[in-house]
Amino acid sequence: MRPQIDIDKIAKGLGAERRGKVHVTSGHFGAMQLVAEVQARFRVPAGGGRATDPSWTKRRLVPLAQNTLSRLEELAHNIEEKRHIHVDPMQVAALLLENITAQIADEDAEQIVDAARSSG
Amino acid sequence: MISPLDLRGLTIYINRVEELSLPEARRKRLLVVLFIPSVERDSVTEIDQDQWVDKALEMFGRVFGGATAFPRAKGIWRDDERGGKLVRDNPVVLHCYMAPEDMEKPHNQTSLGAFCRQMGRETNQGEVGLVINDEYLAITNLSED
Repeated sequence: MRPQIDIDKIAKGLGAERRGKVHVTSGHFGAMQLVAEVQARFRVPAGGGRATDPSWTKRRLVPLAQNTLSRLEELAHNIEEKRHIHVDPMQVAALLLENITAQIADEDAEQIVDAARSSG
Repeated sequence: MISPLDLRGLTIYINRVEELSLPEARRKRLLVVLFIPSVERDSVTEIDQDQWVDKALEMFGRVFGGATAFPRAKGIWRDDERGGKLVRDNPVVLHCYMAPEDMEKPHNQTSLGAFCRQMGRETNQGEVGLVINDEYLAITNLSED
């Protein structure tokens, strides 16, 4: 049975961020299996920098207004202050984009595009 | 073959030490895993891995009562961000079974966190990885404080 511990509190105390569940078993083979799982799922990009979600394989240039970038920087800064999680402003942007894209209705997206075109 | 008569002369040894050690063994049920890398974040420059394994064992022994380092795993992966170059990474995995209460003590967290950050800084890592209670945790802020 797994011990009951407050993983959020421990992560904060260590200055770490939670990345996800892994399958851990004891012994040599368990240790080797864990290495394989972690290397496959949580590998740090070779060029250095922070770990990213391996499913983020596409890159596109997205034009931003200065105040949008400032807001993203503020969000990233606040997350780092409160949760001790290092995150880049554009990683925040990517997460927001993923979240909104998954949730927004087609009609709402059309309205937003229409509003932007008429105001521009 | 022992006859029924001979049995009266035998002594039964009851190992009370074994009995006493059981509660301690039950107490240490939280598994913490630390990954000790073989290369720097450039995936090329080798680090003194043996030295960091020894340092990690010393820290876990001092703070949490012991640990086991497994022989290094041999890994390879294709770096698609660098033209599909094959990168070798042979980390050592260190297992430490501890009492959950020991992990919850702030000064123990400070010791473990400080060690991870020091190892990350001095071996030039992007992050240091730990598994605690089946969850992967990453330390990316490697500054001293």
